[in-house]
Amino acid sequence: MIVPLEHILILAALLFFLGLGGLLAWRANLIMMLVCIEVMLNAVMLVFVGGSAQWGNADGQIFAIFIMALTSSEVSLALAMVVYLHRRKRTVNTDLFSEMKG
Amino acid sequence: MELYLAFILLFPLGGGFFNAIVGRKLPRGMSEAVACGVIWGSFICSVLAYFNFTGPIKIEYASWLTAFDFRAPIALYLDQLSLALTLMITFVCGLIHLYSIGYMKDDPSYARYFALLNIFVFAMLVLVLAENLPLLYLGWEGVGFCSYALIGFWYQEEKNATAGRKAFIVTRIGDTAFGIAMVWMYQLFGTLSITQLNGMGNLVPAGIVTGLGILLLIGATGKSAQLPLSVWLPDAMAGPTPVSAQIHAATMVTAGVYLLARMFPLIGASETVGAAIAVIGGGTAFYAATCACAQRDLKRILAYSTISQIGYMVLGVGAGALTAATFHLLTHAFFKALLFLGAGCVITALHHQQDIYRMGGLKSRLPAIYWPFLAGALCLAGFPGSGGFFSKDAILGAVFERGGVLYGSLFALGLFTALLTAFYTFRMLFVVFHGESHNPLPSREGGHSPLPPIMTVTLIPLALFGLLGGILDLPEYLGTSAFLSGFLGPVPGFAGLVQAVPGDEIALQIIAATTSIVGLGLAWSRYTGDRRATSLAMEEAGSPRSDFFLNGWYLDSLYRLLLIRPFVRLSGFLWKGIDGAVIDGTLDGLARFTARVGGVPAAWSSGRVVTSLFGLAGGVCVVLAYLAWLVLS
Repeated sequence: MIVPLEHILILAALLFFLGLGGLLAWRANLIMMLVCIEVMLNAVMLVFVGGSAQWGNADGQIFAIFIMALTSSEVSLALAMVVYLHRRKRTVNTDLFSEMKG
Repeated sequence: MELYLAFILLFPLGGGFFNAIVGRKLPRGMSEAVACGVIWGSFICSVLAYFNFTGPIKIEYASWLTAFDFRAPIALYLDQLSLALTLMITFVCGLIHLYSIGYMKDDPSYARYFALLNIFVFAMLVLVLAENLPLLYLGWEGVGFCSYALIGFWYQEEKNATAGRKAFIVTRIGDTAFGIAMVWMYQLFGTLSITQLNGMGNLVPAGIVTGLGILLLIGATGKSAQLPLSVWLPDAMAGPTPVSAQIHAATMVTAGVYLLARMFPLIGASETVGAAIAVIGGGTAFYAATCACAQRDLKRILAYSTISQIGYMVLGVGAGALTAATFHLLTHAFFKALLFLGAGCVITALHHQQDIYRMGGLKSRLPAIYWPFLAGALCLAGFPGSGGFFSKDAILGAVFERGGVLYGSLFALGLFTALLTAFYTFRMLFVVFHGESHNPLPSREGGHSPLPPIMTVTLIPLALFGLLGGILDLPEYLGTSAFLSGFLGPVPGFAGLVQAVPGDEIALQIIAATTSIVGLGLAWSRYTGDRRATSLAMEEAGSPRSDFFLNGWYLDSLYRLLLIRPFVRLSGFLWKGIDGAVIDGTLDGLARFTARVGGVPAAWSSGRVVTSLFGLAGGVCVVLAYLAWLVLS
C-alpha cells in the first residue's frame, strides 16, 4: 500500500472536523449544513475504505457503498424537506427555527 | 350525697352547654330561665348537701388521668371549707344571673353570655370541690378562660379585647408558677391528692416547703390580683358589670385565697412562706386602697377596693387566721357583689356614664339603689356592726395576736388601710349619690325608674346578707358561740389558732370602729356641703400626686418599661435580625443559587438545532480528550 493508514486517518479526521466546524458555523443556511454533513459522512467512508485496504477485507468497501446509497436517499429526503420548510417560513436560517423548544 | 355533689357540678355545666349549643335558636326567655335555673338548682343541691353533711367526704366518680404511678381521678372532696364556699358561690352567682337578665336585656349575644357565665360557675365549683390538684387546676384554668372571654365580651371594641387578653396573660404567669409547684409536689410526694399532701408538710426540709409555698403564692397573686400581678383587675372592668361582680365577688379572685387556705397545712409549715404571704397581702391592701382614693371611674374604684380586700384575706392567710380569711371572703362576696350590681344599676340609669364627677345627687332619684348601695358601702368601710366590720377585724386581730415586728407593722399598715378604705368608700358614695346632680336622669316618663325591677330586687338579699354577715361569726365576748369558727374548726389548718384575749379584742374593735368612723368623717367633711364643689374641682384638675394614684402607682408603665419594651425589642431583633436576616437570608440565598445553577441547563433548551449540535460537538471533544489522555498517560 502506497499511502500509509495514518495519513488516511489524519485526512479523514481533518475532513470530519472541517465538516463539523462548517456545520456549526454555517447555520444561516440549511443547505450548506447538509453539505457539511455530507463532508463528515465522506470522512467516515474514507476511514472504512482505508481500513479495508489495510487489512485486505472487502467489508469496509461494501459499507462505503451502503453509506453512499443511504446518503443519496437521505439527501433527497432532506432537500425535499428544505423546500417544504422554505415554503412555510420563507427562510432557511436554522437559528430562526425554535419550535422544538420544550 | 354523691348525687348532690354531682348535680352541683352538672347543673351549671349542662346549662352552659345547653346555651352554647341551642341557646341561639330558642326564645330569649328560655335561655335566661335555663341559665338561672341551673345555678339555683345547684344552690338547692348545695343546701341539701349542707343539711346532709356529717363530716368531710371524698367521692371518686371516674378516673381521669392515669399514667404509670400518676393518678388524677375525677374525685371531689367536700369539707366544711368547700361546703361554705359552694353555698356562697351558688347563692351569689344565682343572684348575679338573675340580675344579668335585666342588665343584658338589650344585648343580642345573650346565649354566649349565659353559656360563659354558667361555665364560669362550673369551673369555680370544680376548683373549690376538687380533691386533687390537677382537677383543681382544671377549674383554675377554666375560670381563667371564662374571665378572658367575658371581660372581652364586647370584643368588637379593641379596648375590651385587649383587657381580656391582659387578664389572661397576666394570670398565666401565676398559673405557670402553680403548674411548676404541682409537678414538683408530685416529684416530692408521689401524689397530688390535696388531703394526702396536707399531711406531708413535715416530711421534707423547710427550704423545699418554702419554695413550694412561694410558687403557690405566685400562682395565687396571679388569680387574686395581688401585688406584682395586680394590674389586670382594674382593666377587667371592660366586661359587662354583672361579670365584674361575678369575677370580683364570688369566683375568680377568691380562687387564690382558697388555694392558699387549702394548701396551708402543707405550706404553713414554713414561717417564711407565712411571712411572705402576709407581706404581699398587707402591701397589696395598702397599695390598692391608695389607688382607689384617686380613681374617678366608679367601677375602677370598686376594682381597686376588691384588690385591697383580697389583700386583707391574703394577709389573714399569712397570719394563719384561715377562719378569719374565709369569713372575710364570704362577707366580701356579698357586699362586693352588692356594690358592683348597684354600680351597674347606676351606670345603666345614667346611660353608661362611669365617671363619678359626672354623677351626683342620685340619692333622691334612685332610692332603690341608694339604700342597698349604702349597706354595701358600710360593709366595705368596716362600719361598726356591719358584716365587713367583724370579718376585717377578725383578720386584723389575728395579725395583731401574732405579735413581733413584722406582724406588728403589718397590723399598723392594715389599720391605716382600713382608714383609707372608709375614706374612699364614702368618697364614692357621697360623690355619686349626694350633692347636686350634673346629669339629669334620662327618660322618666311613666313615673317609674328606667331600670328593670329585677336589677334592683336582687340587691336586697345581698344587702341583708352583707349587713348581717357578722352573725356568721360574732366575737365571743358577745356571749354567742362563733358559728363559722365552730363550723370550720375541723378543717386541717383552721383550728389551733391562739384565741384573742377578750379585752384585747374589744380594744381592737373599738380602734377599728374609730378608724372607720374617722374615714367616714373625713369623706363627709370633704365631699358634702359647702366644701364639695371646691374639692371636686380640685380633684378634677388633677395633680402629679393624684395622677400617681390614679394610674395605680404607674405599675403598668413600669411593667411596660421593664418587661414589655425589652421583650418587644428582643422580639423585633429576633424577627428582623435572626429570622429575617439569617434564616430567611440563608434560605433565599440558597434558593437564588439553585435557580441560577438551574438556569444554565435551562438555557440550552432553546429549541434551536444549533444548541444540540454544539452539545454533540462538545461531547465529541470530551470523548476525544479522554482518549487522548488515555493514550498519552
